[in-house]
Amino acid sequence: MSDVLLLITFSCWALACLLVLCSSALKLARLLLAAGALAGVMLAFFTLPGGMLPVQLSMNVGGSPVIFALSPSALWLMVFGLAAALPACWLGTPGEGKRGWIAGAALSLLGALGVFGFQDSIAFLIAWEVMSLGGAVMILGGRNAHGGGRRVLFMLSLLEVGSVALLFAFLLMGTLGIDGFNFQDSAVSIAALAPWLQALVGVLLLIGFGAKLGILPFYEWFPAAYGAGSGVSGNLMSGVILNAAFFGLSRGFTQWLSDTSVLFGLGILLIAAGVVSAILAALYAFQEEDWRELLSLSTAENAGIAVTALGAAALFRAQGQVELAGLAWVVAMLQLAAHALAKGGLFIAADGVFNATGSYLIAQRGLLRRSSWLFGIGAVFAGMSLAAMPPQAGFVSEWYIFQTLFQGFHLSSLAGRLVMALAGAGLALTAAISFATFVKVLGVGLLGQGDSQAKMIPWRISFATGILGMAVLALAVGMPWWLQTLDTASIQLFGMHVASAMHDGLILVPLTSSFAFISPTMLVIVCPSLALLAIALLIPAKRFGVRRAAVWFGGLPRENHRVATTSLTFSNAMRTFYSFIYRPTLDVEHEHVSQKYFLKRLQFNYRVAPIFGALLFLPITRLINHAAERLRALQSGNLNFYLALIGMILVLIFILGSL
Amino acid sequence: MPMWTLLGLTRGTATTDWPLGQDDGQKNTLGMPRYHPDKCEAGCKECIAVCLPGALTSAHSDEVRLHVDYGRCIACQMCVEVCPAGAMQTSNDWAFAVHEREDLRWKQALQSPEAGNLKSRVEGAFKSSLHIRHVDAGSCNGCESELQALNNPFYNLHRLGIFLTPSPRFADVLLVTGTVTYAMHDALLATYEAMPEPKWVMAMGTCAVSGGIAKGGYSSGSGLEGVLPVDVYLPGCSPNPAAIIHALLMLLERAPQRVHDGQMDMSRHE
Amino acid sequence: MNGALEIRLGPADLQSACEALLRDGGRMQMAWAWYPSLGGIEVCYLTTQGVRQQFALWRCNTTDQTLPSLAGITPLLGWYEREITDLFGVRFDGQPEPYPLVLQEGARPILSPLNPAYPVDTAMPFKRQPARIPQVLGDDIQELPFGPVRADVVESAQFLFFYLGEHILHYQPRLFFKHRGMEKRFEGLEPALGVILAERVSGIGSFAHALAYCQAVESACDCTIPPRAAWLRTLCAELERIYNHLHYFGHLADTTTLKVASAEGKLLEERVKQISARLCSNRFLRNLLQPGGLRHDLNIYTGLSEELQKLQREINRYLGQLSRTSSYLDRLIDTGMLSRQVAFDQGATGPVERASGLDRDLRRDHAYAAYAAVKLEVSLRDKGDANARAEVRAEEIRVSTDLIAQLLTDIPAGAYCNPCVTKPNGEGIGWCESPRGALYYAVHLDGSGKLQRVKIKSPSFSNWRVFPYTVHGSNMMDYAINEASFGLSIAGCDR
Repeated sequence: MSDVLLLITFSCWALACLLVLCSSALKLARLLLAAGALAGVMLAFFTLPGGMLPVQLSMNVGGSPVIFALSPSALWLMVFGLAAALPACWLGTPGEGKRGWIAGAALSLLGALGVFGFQDSIAFLIAWEVMSLGGAVMILGGRNAHGGGRRVLFMLSLLEVGSVALLFAFLLMGTLGIDGFNFQDSAVSIAALAPWLQALVGVLLLIGFGAKLGILPFYEWFPAAYGAGSGVSGNLMSGVILNAAFFGLSRGFTQWLSDTSVLFGLGILLIAAGVVSAILAALYAFQEEDWRELLSLSTAENAGIAVTALGAAALFRAQGQVELAGLAWVVAMLQLAAHALAKGGLFIAADGVFNATGSYLIAQRGLLRRSSWLFGIGAVFAGMSLAAMPPQAGFVSEWYIFQTLFQGFHLSSLAGRLVMALAGAGLALTAAISFATFVKVLGVGLLGQGDSQAKMIPWRISFATGILGMAVLALAVGMPWWLQTLDTASIQLFGMHVASAMHDGLILVPLTSSFAFISPTMLVIVCPSLALLAIALLIPAKRFGVRRAAVWFGGLPRENHRVATTSLTFSNAMRTFYSFIYRPTLDVEHEHVSQKYFLKRLQFNYRVAPIFGALLFLPITRLINHAAERLRALQSGNLNFYLALIGMILVLIFILGSL
Repeated sequence: MPMWTLLGLTRGTATTDWPLGQDDGQKNTLGMPRYHPDKCEAGCKECIAVCLPGALTSAHSDEVRLHVDYGRCIACQMCVEVCPAGAMQTSNDWAFAVHEREDLRWKQALQSPEAGNLKSRVEGAFKSSLHIRHVDAGSCNGCESELQALNNPFYNLHRLGIFLTPSPRFADVLLVTGTVTYAMHDALLATYEAMPEPKWVMAMGTCAVSGGIAKGGYSSGSGLEGVLPVDVYLPGCSPNPAAIIHALLMLLERAPQRVHDGQMDMSRHE
Repeated sequence: MNGALEIRLGPADLQSACEALLRDGGRMQMAWAWYPSLGGIEVCYLTTQGVRQQFALWRCNTTDQTLPSLAGITPLLGWYEREITDLFGVRFDGQPEPYPLVLQEGARPILSPLNPAYPVDTAMPFKRQPARIPQVLGDDIQELPFGPVRADVVESAQFLFFYLGEHILHYQPRLFFKHRGMEKRFEGLEPALGVILAERVSGIGSFAHALAYCQAVESACDCTIPPRAAWLRTLCAELERIYNHLHYFGHLADTTTLKVASAEGKLLEERVKQISARLCSNRFLRNLLQPGGLRHDLNIYTGLSEELQKLQREINRYLGQLSRTSSYLDRLIDTGMLSRQVAFDQGATGPVERASGLDRDLRRDHAYAAYAAVKLEVSLRDKGDANARAEVRAEEIRVSTDLIAQLLTDIPAGAYCNPCVTKPNGEGIGWCESPRGALYYAVHLDGSGKLQRVKIKSPSFSNWRVFPYTVHGSNMMDYAINEASFGLSIAGCDR
């Protein structure tokens, strides 16, 4: 059964790609994409919690056949990514390049499938590159913005850095050629390495997968690239693709690396990198005024939190606290599951905003009034989840993360405890900033009276957003049941029933109920019942006649919609408070009539300065340009010079061959 | 900062307890001139010629030769100065608040005003807690100065349970000063609309009662007549803070109206 | 015209004369228009050739209702020219801001309101339109149109802010909601009655307005006033200055949330108003003046000197305490900086200009009433921030209380009024240093000796023009304090 579904998934996506390349049956292609996603979801339903049995493909790499197998953790991450991608595929891009977008989406999904499933390094790397390429084709092919080329190039170059790091990691692990390509032997081959080499492997894996996840300094390509695409591109990139990258990282740190001293150091590194990335990404997300860019940086922040959880898992394992390690790992899974659904919903909402107003700007255009109630519910639930508000899934995972970090006192080393405490403080900061960020997204982005020029949000988009929002709530409320599916995975990785220890009946606990507990399942029943109390108080109250008067505004009617809070004025206080990070610049140009006293026009521009742009990327670019200038000498165009070079290389080969 | 607390404490109480006590702070302040029709000479139009707001007009009868409309009087005392016979005399009648506009027009009093029980216009709840929203509809800022003086330590309006609010949404009384210029007309009406029921309107100052010396012309209105329904008229240019307090207490039925048919009732005491 | 050197200029000479005036260190004071009996419209410009030099009046006739604009040369004339355009219909070529000022956007009078042919008591048709603002580009800027009905007991005006949370990018006050057309009401009145109108242009400046008006009429009719009147006029003018400045400090302390200081300032103001009432039967010193002197004598009651001395001690203690309160000073220092150049170009007057280093005071430079006979110090600062403006006023209170004590010692006996007969076709300029700055009245009498045109230039008209230049680029928290430190009146500006 699972093999059939896998085949359907693969073929739907491949067919969709071929269709757009050869014909113009775009609607069919979109439906095929959606069908493939649906098949993938069903595959997960049928195979969880056990995991898929390995399938041998009829291809060979280096003499051994390619094996495809989806482990339970891969299935878990994949199902949520695909559940978010399903409506996105069905909707398609609102931009002009529908054909290019479908091709790119198909490639990304195929690549992600490969990343989840391939068990040897060559196929894995190919799938990884296809996934990156798919993302680039989605953005460029979607033709949403001018100047997208530069941004996509920036994204691809950073992703290439990641790919190169992965390549080196696999080389060091010995899975590239010398002893075979299969990942099954990785744990053994890594353990045979010297500790510093093992640490290097860990760092390279972090860099490699971190390029996709948005660990610093790699999150800087997020706003640029996402801002050139459409909402649905963002949905796929923050959902399936992000989850695939995280799967790779988590596999590396839970299955491949096992030396305790190495894990200890790497755990601290992961926590530090995750927390700092989350803080910086959250800070910059708060200042964005474009839906896609803000949500992209929020993605980086959530990925940072998941990486922190993974680091905590590594740290616990290094100190022998296996059950707590399992807890931390499950938490990371939950975080990304909730994130995929909620972020996917908000990205689709962003497309709705584009359809209604023609731009992705976060501004009070009164959009909530111009949409069906489903849209509002979906957007608010998704926003609540990302802002970690009860009873949503994002709250559950955020609460769990804090509970895990608080239990750092079980660690025996002082350094470990200190790091956990600091990580808790850092994550508290990001939680606060992301709360403000989502208040801004929903408050400034959707509310307001707005102007009358905005159109209605299309029904399809309202429906999609609503479904995803309610899925987020369903995830939270049904958590005691969904956790069972991760049980097998936790046994495989940690040898203990961690996931089933995380709930006690209907309440959720961090392994023991004496430490703390919450229950979204019960909150969903209790909180609305509190409203009954208020209603009961209102009913016997005296009713006065209602007279409606205009909003009081100093006596004169509001003349334009500029009075509403804008995206910048909402974030301005933080800009000033954290100006040592943002280094904001404000330009005001005045245009005068005759003397400087008579103002005719005022033009205002603002910018915040990204950190790594100037510190890291620009110097490296300049260095490369400089080196390239030097190497131009080789392109002298002189035939004799080339012949001389060839001769020298021949001599070198002979010398080396004889050694 | 503690120095200010000390200064405040050492200064002691500066508040008058008027209307319970005697010190209304208006020693020597003149009010509306009193009309004595018996002294008025036939054919003399001296006072009419110098009355700029037109409060004095000819009445064509022998017993009463002048129509005196205190709703237009700015208490400039010019009529007192030019009257050859002493028919207009100065007085300290500044507590001139009335409920009906007609009560500001001088009439021969035929009988003493009834002390009958008028139906209460004000609910009990407001009598000890009143919130006022002030709107300047085109005044000379003299009335604003006296209104701002209500919250100084001498008068201290809060001790009477009366407050000035920043928003019409929680106001009970709309206190209007000024003649209602063309530019403030719609803003004034919007403020009235923005107030919840029950609400009252008080016209403070001769400009708001009838337009005063700034009536009409190309940009100015003639007070609140025809613009809003008025509950208390308080003429004066400008009414002093004690007069304003009396008018507010009168609105709340905590003080009696002292003027009927244009004449101050001297028999009652506060 | 009495009191000023007269110079006739043609429209073509205006710009060069203005440039020459500024080059030679002179200064433009005000401008107004009127309809002389001979026909056409005459625009008059009042200038001073230099510090403490005599006034010079430029008169320029225009038959085709156009004149070159001088606002490019002296920016302060911008508002005067716009007012003349609104009320007379004269067009100024090259006016940098050719938009209505005195009449709101959407007012369409059938004739220029101050045209003698304008039908009596006819309201203008008015359909409200949005305010005219400079083009402000930038998606993220928030706009706040604050008013005209504002919080607390304040006068009506609308303030337009373009801001980002805290930072104000551009600020524009929209005044003249309270424009009652007071200048037109004088037309056709006897000069002796006009003082009643003049007192009610601005309540808190009643005496200053009445004084400037009476001096203008006395100048137009060639009257003199007896010494007792001059003395008593000076006394009352200083009393008005004291209560206004005390109110200023009460309000300023309120904006910096010093509650006790605010209460103390307002209590001291109340004391002065009660003293005024006892002296002349009116808290605002109204119904006191007439051309030729006073209408009635002041009631210099026994105990007045002691009361004033006690008041002086309390005021000194109050001001001293304020100058030692660091939280209050913190909010004032470096707030609302007004540079000397901007103050000069935009025509700042009164304590506002003296706080920015411009040394002008009408009491000393063009002495009137009894000021020539008394010892007067003029307070000056050059920093131009809110603290400087407050300090200038604090010193002025001290100077005024000393002055009153001086005046009370030897008031001349004798008549308090001389008869003043009106002179047909008389013209005069009267001035007074009101608590807010230089106040001018220009009076033109017609052939029968009645008032034909009265022009009022109140100090707040000048200072409101200057105020926005201290607000651009500042922040919202400082706005209320800055506005309080200017101490502006809106009725005086709007008339």
